Amino acid sequence: MNDKVIEVREVWKIFGDRAAEALAAIRRDGLDKAEVLERFEAVVGVRNVSFDVHAGEIFCIMGLSGSGKSTLVRHVNRLIEPTQGQILINGEDVGALAPEELRALRAGRIGMVFQNMALLPHRTVRDNIAFALELRDADTFTRHQTADRVIETVSLQGYGDRMPRELSGGMQQRVGLARALAADPEILLMDEPFSALDPLIRRGLQDEFLALSRTMRKTTIFITHDLDEAIRMGSRIAIMKDGEVVQIGTPEHIVTHPADDYVADFVKGISRLKLVFAHTIMEPPEKYGQEHGDPPDAEHWPRAGPEADLDSLVNLAVGEDRPIAVRSDGGRLVGIVTKDALLRGIQGEA
Amino acid sequence: MTQEGETAGAVPDPLAPFREFAGPGGDYYGRTFLRIQQATLPARHVNAAAMAGSFVWAALRGNWLAFWIGFVADMIAAVNLALVYKYDRAAAQAVIDGKDFLVQRYEGWTDAYLLAAVVLFVAGRLLFGWLADRLYYRQYARWRIDRSLPRGLNAGRLVTAALVAALIAPLTLYRATQFPPDERACIKLTRKIQDGAPVSSKARFDCWTISEFPTLVWLERPPQYSYPRNADGTRSIVVRESTAKRPVNLNTWLSERIDQGIGYLKAFYGWVFDGITHWIRVLLNAIESVFVGTPWIVTAVMFVVIAKTAAGPRVAVFVGASLVYLALFGFWQTAMSTVSLVVAATIICVVAGLPLGIWVGKSRTGTAVVTPILDIMQTIPSFVYLLPAVAFFSIGKPPGILATVIFAMPPMVRLTALGIRQVPESTKEAALAFGASPKQLMMKVELPLALPSIMAGVNQVVMMSLSMVVIAAIIGAGGMGFIVVDALGQTEVGRGLLAGIGIALIAMMIDRVVQKANRMKS
Repeated sequence: MNDKVIEVREVWKIFGDRAAEALAAIRRDGLDKAEVLERFEAVVGVRNVSFDVHAGEIFCIMGLSGSGKSTLVRHVNRLIEPTQGQILINGEDVGALAPEELRALRAGRIGMVFQNMALLPHRTVRDNIAFALELRDADTFTRHQTADRVIETVSLQGYGDRMPRELSGGMQQRVGLARALAADPEILLMDEPFSALDPLIRRGLQDEFLALSRTMRKTTIFITHDLDEAIRMGSRIAIMKDGEVVQIGTPEHIVTHPADDYVADFVKGISRLKLVFAHTIMEPPEKYGQEHGDPPDAEHWPRAGPEADLDSLVNLAVGEDRPIAVRSDGGRLVGIVTKDALLRGIQGEA
Repeated sequence: MTQEGETAGAVPDPLAPFREFAGPGGDYYGRTFLRIQQATLPARHVNAAAMAGSFVWAALRGNWLAFWIGFVADMIAAVNLALVYKYDRAAAQAVIDGKDFLVQRYEGWTDAYLLAAVVLFVAGRLLFGWLADRLYYRQYARWRIDRSLPRGLNAGRLVTAALVAALIAPLTLYRATQFPPDERACIKLTRKIQDGAPVSSKARFDCWTISEFPTLVWLERPPQYSYPRNADGTRSIVVRESTAKRPVNLNTWLSERIDQGIGYLKAFYGWVFDGITHWIRVLLNAIESVFVGTPWIVTAVMFVVIAKTAAGPRVAVFVGASLVYLALFGFWQTAMSTVSLVVAATIICVVAGLPLGIWVGKSRTGTAVVTPILDIMQTIPSFVYLLPAVAFFSIGKPPGILATVIFAMPPMVRLTALGIRQVPESTKEAALAFGASPKQLMMKVELPLALPSIMAGVNQVVMMSLSMVVIAAIIGAGGMGFIVVDALGQTEVGRGLLAGIGIALIAMMIDRVVQKANRMKS
């Protein structure tokens, strides 16, 4: 099955007049960021990054500021040209598009949301939302109809004739999102869309976006510097550091199997209750049997499926002296979670 | 540096760094600096040694600011003394010549200069003595940061001081004892030298060193060019060798060359200038037909209505009152003619300045090319613009408008460029991300966002045009400026003042309306 919507292939981006030279030197000698800056006055933005984004998934790119995540996402709609490498959208090389084709791609098939909203202050909310359509010379009637429909999607009813400055930050970002959705693109690029908002509004918008995303199934690249947000939003997460992708995986995989100390450091503070499942922390029945002798009454133990998360295991374990039996769908005993293992699992030592 | 282990508990000598800095006399400066730091230095405190030594003390101590203060103070006193000598001798000469009135005058001056010399010397030394330690402390404070600065006492610095004094003092004092030769005497001297006649070395010295900078460059007078028209309408170039015997200086030579260049351009490219004049005239006629050619009732009502809709009732009342002033004092037609000139100049400025400003705002080359030109345009005094306008376009309204355009264009270009540059990168990026073409980016994002800045530019252009249009009256642009210029020539202050107030009212009317309209829009 080929459902890869976006393919990023060995993309390098080096800023500076001597980028090509610097790239050759990095490949030859494996220089690091500081050495490249010193020898070529060039800044490495993206370092040999490859990944695929599948249809309908939310692919989070997480990294601290300066890790190259915003630079990377701008390659997808070619706001930034790669020094080397390819980006394919539905198998089509973005780098090979003629200017007019590229504009059509940006206006029709990719929507983008920015951290600082970047709305046009002299236009009403409705005209901001219909901007992409206007650039494609849609007539006023179509523009207004489409805009009004999207305004409803992002629950901004009644604000169509307001100016952006009359709206709060959260509402402005709804306008930003509406503008990205107006042309009904198949791809959404979200560059730290909720980072500038205060925590409560951010939470609300995250939930709303998740709900929207479930119905619209748009292929999304979601940039964030906040691991919590990445874990909430992402089907998969790529963690970037110094322009490189350190690890790609599902939220659970990243939390339970951090690729290196850097990632481990990040995930340390993350609550594992909803991310770690019974199959990760259970021990096989044979092992339990060797240590405690064959359990005579395992039939009566509290039972959970292998996909039960720690949160539900805790609910089972409270006020219960016996271990939890993990049983497959067929009811076969596949593992046993003792209280010790559960506590260690929450702690992150499993 | 005291070491912890050896002198544990001992308080380090607070004067040690002062002593290290001052070298000889360290005890005195140590105590003084300590009192400066403790803020207990009496206001009357003076340094007697410094007062006696003045700039010599300063040079020894390496405090060059104090050196200059002391040296200049003493020089001023010395110059006064030299003037005493000068007028004493002049008085004696006047006695011999029997010019009593001169004797009296010079003797009076002698006394005055003598008194001045004494007072200035005493006051200068007192000031120096008072400043010395305070300046020296500042030198100490800087030395703490940068140890390469002068410290202690060093006789070698006297050499530098002596060189400076030798360069300045003798010539200055000599100049004060002499009656400097006037310009004409020096021209005569130059002629004599060119003709090979003998001149005294004193006269030569006086002319070349103590008054004007000597003429170093002498050039052959350039030939005269003329461009008579032939029978078939073409022009030929006639060169006549200069008959002047004497060479000319750089100024005369280059002035004549420039005049020749202008003459050449006018003779062979006159059609360009005539064309420009023609089109400006066409534009101006169209505008004048609106402002001057319309009955005053219509124009006045139009103005008030525009002010009311664009800037509200209060501004409209002000505009109405100003119009009544202009009408009552008989300035209506002239004022309308001035307004026409301003409008014409503004239109040209905006049409030319807007694209130029966009270019400057968007391109590095544009900035590199245009910015220095704008800097020059804004430094040149406005009067100077009249010269090329007159040279190429003769006199009248079109050259007046041209000079005005050159004068008033820079803010249009600058503020447009500023507005374009101020458009946030992120907003432009967003527009590009939604598929904007370069043209759409300009029309739908950059220009609208730059509009407030551009309108500020237009307002500036209007104000500057109005001030220049008045000056342009000198070259026959007419309007209100002409009344002022004419009144100035005839010393009719009252008439000039009334016209001046009229101009100010016109400026305020336009300014109020434009500014208020801008503010109401945003």
